[in-house]
Amino acid sequence: MSTITLYSVAYGLASLLLGALGSILPGAARAAVTNVDVVTGLGVLIFAAILLAASMLNTIVLIWWERKLLGRFMDRRGAMHVGYAGLLQNFADGFKLFRKDTVKPREADALGFFTGPAAYMVTSMIIFGVLPISTGWNSGALPLSLLLALAIFSFAPLFIFVSAWSSNNKYSLMGGMRSAAQMIAYEVPLLLAVVAVVIVSGSFSLTTIVYEQQNYWYWGPLFVALIVFVAAMLAEMERIPFDLPEAEAELVEGWNTEYGGMLFAFFMLADYLRALVGSILVVLLFLGGWTMPSWVPSAATSFPLAGIFWFMLKTYLVFGVFVWIRASLPRVRTDQLLRVGWNRMIPLSLLAVFLAAVLVTVKCVWPFGCVPSMGV
Amino acid sequence: MSEMWINMGPQHPMTHGLWNLRVKIDGEMILDVDPEMGYLHRGIEKISEDRHYNEVITLMDRCCYVAGLAWEHLYIIASEEALHLEAPERALYLRVLCEEFQRLASHLMWYAAFVQDIGLMSPFLYGMRDRDLILDLLQSYTGARMTYEYMRVGGVRSDLPPGFTDRTRKVLDWLNARFVEYDQLCLGSDIFHKRCDGLGILKANDCVAHGVTGPMLRSAGVPRDLRRDRPYAVYDQLEFDIAHADTADVTGRYLVRMEEMRQSLRILRQVVDWLDRHPGPVMADQLPRWLGAPYAPVGNEGYLLKRHYPKGLGFSAVEEPHGEAQAYVVNEGGEHPYRVKFRSPVFANISAARQYLIGYRVADIPPIMGSVDVCVGEVDR
Repeated sequence: MSTITLYSVAYGLASLLLGALGSILPGAARAAVTNVDVVTGLGVLIFAAILLAASMLNTIVLIWWERKLLGRFMDRRGAMHVGYAGLLQNFADGFKLFRKDTVKPREADALGFFTGPAAYMVTSMIIFGVLPISTGWNSGALPLSLLLALAIFSFAPLFIFVSAWSSNNKYSLMGGMRSAAQMIAYEVPLLLAVVAVVIVSGSFSLTTIVYEQQNYWYWGPLFVALIVFVAAMLAEMERIPFDLPEAEAELVEGWNTEYGGMLFAFFMLADYLRALVGSILVVLLFLGGWTMPSWVPSAATSFPLAGIFWFMLKTYLVFGVFVWIRASLPRVRTDQLLRVGWNRMIPLSLLAVFLAAVLVTVKCVWPFGCVPSMGV
Repeated sequence: MSEMWINMGPQHPMTHGLWNLRVKIDGEMILDVDPEMGYLHRGIEKISEDRHYNEVITLMDRCCYVAGLAWEHLYIIASEEALHLEAPERALYLRVLCEEFQRLASHLMWYAAFVQDIGLMSPFLYGMRDRDLILDLLQSYTGARMTYEYMRVGGVRSDLPPGFTDRTRKVLDWLNARFVEYDQLCLGSDIFHKRCDGLGILKANDCVAHGVTGPMLRSAGVPRDLRRDRPYAVYDQLEFDIAHADTADVTGRYLVRMEEMRQSLRILRQVVDWLDRHPGPVMADQLPRWLGAPYAPVGNEGYLLKRHYPKGLGFSAVEEPHGEAQAYVVNEGGEHPYRVKFRSPVFANISAARQYLIGYRVADIPPIMGSVDVCVGEVDR
């Protein structure tokens, strides 16, 4: 286990910077600059900046990945012209949106219209602060990081509804209503599926959950929970087949109809940030996080940053499955979605919780092995 | 939410054209609808009165941007009857070739738009990709991909290029294999059936009452097809079945159109075989000079011919991809038609919207209107 952590990198960078700054300053200022609290504070800021940059970069690459993959599913090649294989296309699109004017409809409510997208974006980014990417590459040992991540994740319908309502557009309002109904309905099975994982691992800490999967990843024994979690996550991410809040066929663009330019880019980025969070949660809860099974040769898991490599690989593959689903399924209708949510998903998630309880009781399941922390 | 009217159109992804569907909703339920058309009116019928007979063909391509050749065919049959002309047999077969290609292209376009309406993304591009093959074929002998101007009063403009029939057979085989994939993507999906079964029901007597024709009528269990019931061109010498379904809903219209595409492949194979075996002229010999060369200065001979040309009335009815289109051409003698009148099938199909939309949900509007296959160019003309 290497001793390098993201925080130590940030702290080292901060002390290097401040040390260099202090060496050219007179005595009193040098003491103030190289104070331990100042260095720690700057270290935390750099840590946050690295996380922010990494999450944004990954989001943009994720969009590229979706565009390329979707292109292949559709018998075309996706973005090809800007950068190698279109890698820089999203940056070009982003700059285009950045340059555009921000238009607010005259009758729209300015407070909700502008704070909605900002809050949606910010809450989506905060989640990255609590997600452990690899050993040491998180913000610290939060004992309830899973709970915190899901709590922040569930803020979204509020902000969507606020921005939809303040747009003063009938399509936006209908999209906002659908979004709120859908997200609240699918919050319940999502959390119940997570409860199954929590029962087996005995912890709300994502790091602990990953280490509890050393004998077997949870996707096998908790398969029902995985299915419920992925389906509910698709609804939370508002992707096809559950993208009816922005069903472009009837609602134009749903709750973000009135948004253009950078405000639209905020929504778009936040959507993909949430998609990234969803894929990461699937990897953390069901696919062993950054760990690999013991039969994988140690050379493949011991090179520098191997944990991050395997983690990102799994994340992108999980997102690829989401893209696959998007490429091949039609959209369902609101009433059908809610009926499935309340009548099918909740009983199914309760079944998943029951199976998790059985698993904890019997402790060992062929062919997977034994629950580690249960002391068998 | 209280009741409110929303305007779906004139700029809306559901419309597939330029028209406005006003919808009164209560939450997600549709209480009332009011289709508004006329945004694309160009006065084609009036303009035609000031054009030479062959110049009207240019306008026919603009009637429907996905089925230009079918509208050319419609106008040509009526004006030939009005002018007492007859085209050679090879030209008739070429026209049938055009119309069936156009039916395939139009139905593939419909498929692409329809699956997009219910949220299927990939088949949209599959439909457009396969439609391109047909456009390539059309381009190889008409020179255009959308506005063909291929047919002429008394025949067609040009014969097929060498190697055309073999290329066509390859495309037909490819399409036949692709249709299996289309059905798997749609009919094989539970969500598709959830979205389409039992929606937008329009029973046979309602269809007749509102003048609804084409795949909508056939999906209601009435196997009426002008190609068989009132044969024109050479359809009475070709073998094909009339596709029909009994459900009268969106799925039924899907099934009818898919089967029609298969029947079109069957017709095209026969037509291509016939064209291979029977070379010959594609224009009639005995045309008055002013008809053959509308832009040339009219000489003495042409003037006389024009004056003594017999008057006449022409009527035609063609099974256009969207339904039964009809044309009426009045020839009072002279270079221009005295009056031209068209009947658009889509106009009648949209006008019945109140019958098949009220009582469903807002999310059902795209699949239902998608199954109607709207082409606004011909509605407004």
